[in-house]
Amino acid sequence: MKLIQKYKLTVNNWCIVQKKTAITALVPPELIFACNSEPFDVNNVIPGSKKYPRNKLCAWTAIWQEMLSKREIDIDSLIVVAGGDCHNALVDGQKVAMSGIPTHFFFYPFDGDPDYLESQLYKLSDFLGNVGSPEKPGQIRELKKLGQKIDKKRADGKISAGDAFRIMISFSDLMGNLDKFKEVISSTKERKIDLKNRVALIGVPPIFHDFHDVARALGLAVVFDELPFEFIRHSGNDIPGIARDYCNYTFARPLDFRIKFLQEELEKRKVDGIIHYTQFACHHMLEDEIMRSNLDYPMLTIQGDLPGNTPEQIKLRLEAFRELLERS
Amino acid sequence: MIGLDVGSTTAKKVSIEDGEIKYQIAGTHNWKDLITGIDGNDIISTGYFRKSIPHRASVTEITAAIYGVRHYFPDADVIVDIGGQDTKVIDVKKNNFIINDKCSAGTGAFLEFVANYFKIELKEMGSFHSRAKRIPAINNTCGVFALSEMISQLVAGYTQEEVIAGMHYAFARRISFMIPEAQKLVLIGGTVKNKGMLSALEDILQKEVLVPDEPQIVNALGALKYYC
Ligand code: SF4
Repeated sequence: MKLIQKYKLTVNNWCIVQKKTAITALVPPELIFACNSEPFDVNNVIPGSKKYPRNKLCAWTAIWQEMLSKREIDIDSLIVVAGGDCHNALVDGQKVAMSGIPTHFFFYPFDGDPDYLESQLYKLSDFLGNVGSPEKPGQIRELKKLGQKIDKKRADGKISAGDAFRIMISFSDLMGNLDKFKEVISSTKERKIDLKNRVALIGVPPIFHDFHDVARALGLAVVFDELPFEFIRHSGNDIPGIARDYCNYTFARPLDFRIKFLQEELEKRKVDGIIHYTQFACHHMLEDEIMRSNLDYPMLTIQGDLPGNTPEQIKLRLEAFRELLERS
Repeated sequence: MIGLDVGSTTAKKVSIEDGEIKYQIAGTHNWKDLITGIDGNDIISTGYFRKSIPHRASVTEITAAIYGVRHYFPDADVIVDIGGQDTKVIDVKKNNFIINDKCSAGTGAFLEFVANYFKIELKEMGSFHSRAKRIPAINNTCGVFALSEMISQLVAGYTQEEVIAGMHYAFARRISFMIPEAQKLVLIGGTVKNKGMLSALEDILQKEVLVPDEPQIVNALGALKYYC
């Protein structure tokens, strides 16, 4: 078996062996860092991977399940976001647990009850070995402010959608290292971006690594990314504070809550149309007709399955959608 | 200026001379023959290969279909384009489109499959259908399962004509799931020349389905009209 790498950080002359904790979806990174652990979002490696999982529904969960069970990713433990998010993850997470990796199942409240979320966060903190660096959430809050600036600059045409997306999506684990992540954020180059055909990308993020750049090349300006926006929107300085904010994580809440949020956000960003990305074998596909009847914008629904480049069939749809927006 | 539609099986060229539509059709592998002596700057391209052929401007098949159909039926509200590899449904009024390119059961490939099984030409399918006395129920919408259901119906005593008609119904039912409410529904693409499939679709939707005189050249014409 490969040796599990430990990340060493020196704080106040004490040497802390930082543990690497994998997450399957949004788990407040504030708490993971505060518990002296280094979060690692397993989805990060998937769009660039060339994996064809054997037994799959959704490729996202199938690939991380296979990689974790085969120890292709070095981690010490795993947190599976189950309740309020994804049942495929719940099952694939149990497979990983059965392979011997210490695994914790984290549940968001469907009704947004902060007390319930607080109790979940205390259980998570027990699993992680309790809070040891209470200053981390405050540092993350500052980084999230930078993230919100990046998002705004993108919507104002000063940063490309691809660059903004890559940073925002990384807020789920902040690259496991706050200083390094801050450097990456500050190195983002500003440039003038044409904002004709402003579109919002809703649903789970595309499994294709080049999607935002392809959309831009085809004349579509993505000015909103639904899920990554959740990654920069929530914070909190301690467990009760984190619970009060993260209980409004839209993906875990009922659809009317999420739709109301989208309506306001899309209005603010003056979008011309919506791209609804869906993933093969994901329950979010069932939401398409509800989104269509509640969001009053031209909408393109696309579906991905395996990771890689954006396929030609999807490029055709994007191009036709741009022509459609230009006609309307 | 010409409209040039180079798709996966055929290439079509359209020009308008003195208000009259002129066209030529060739196999995709012979697409170059259609443009001998024509400058790339005079070509508006569409179809799968729109970007790999010389062009002044290119437009997707979806937009080309809207402009092309408008020439024949200015008030069409839904267009269904059944091609060999995919089926596109365009809701012109609601400004929406869907494409099925995942499952062959809803594309021209499905009917080709049936024709190959009976070793007949695709264009003969319509006349086989018209000779059917009964229509067996073929419920599967998956191409492979529909084929095995078709064989069971043959064994059960249905004639080849009847089974072909049954397959047209299975195909049309599959397409009908994609079609929204429409006042004027227009069908384009090579497959619509198949009268059996057309009548099955009209029967299922309980409405008249309009077909332009030359359904195959609509997109090439539309590309031209889009630009000019
Ligand atoms: S895409 Fe859907 S099924 Fe797949 S991991 Fe995300 S929520 Fe779960």
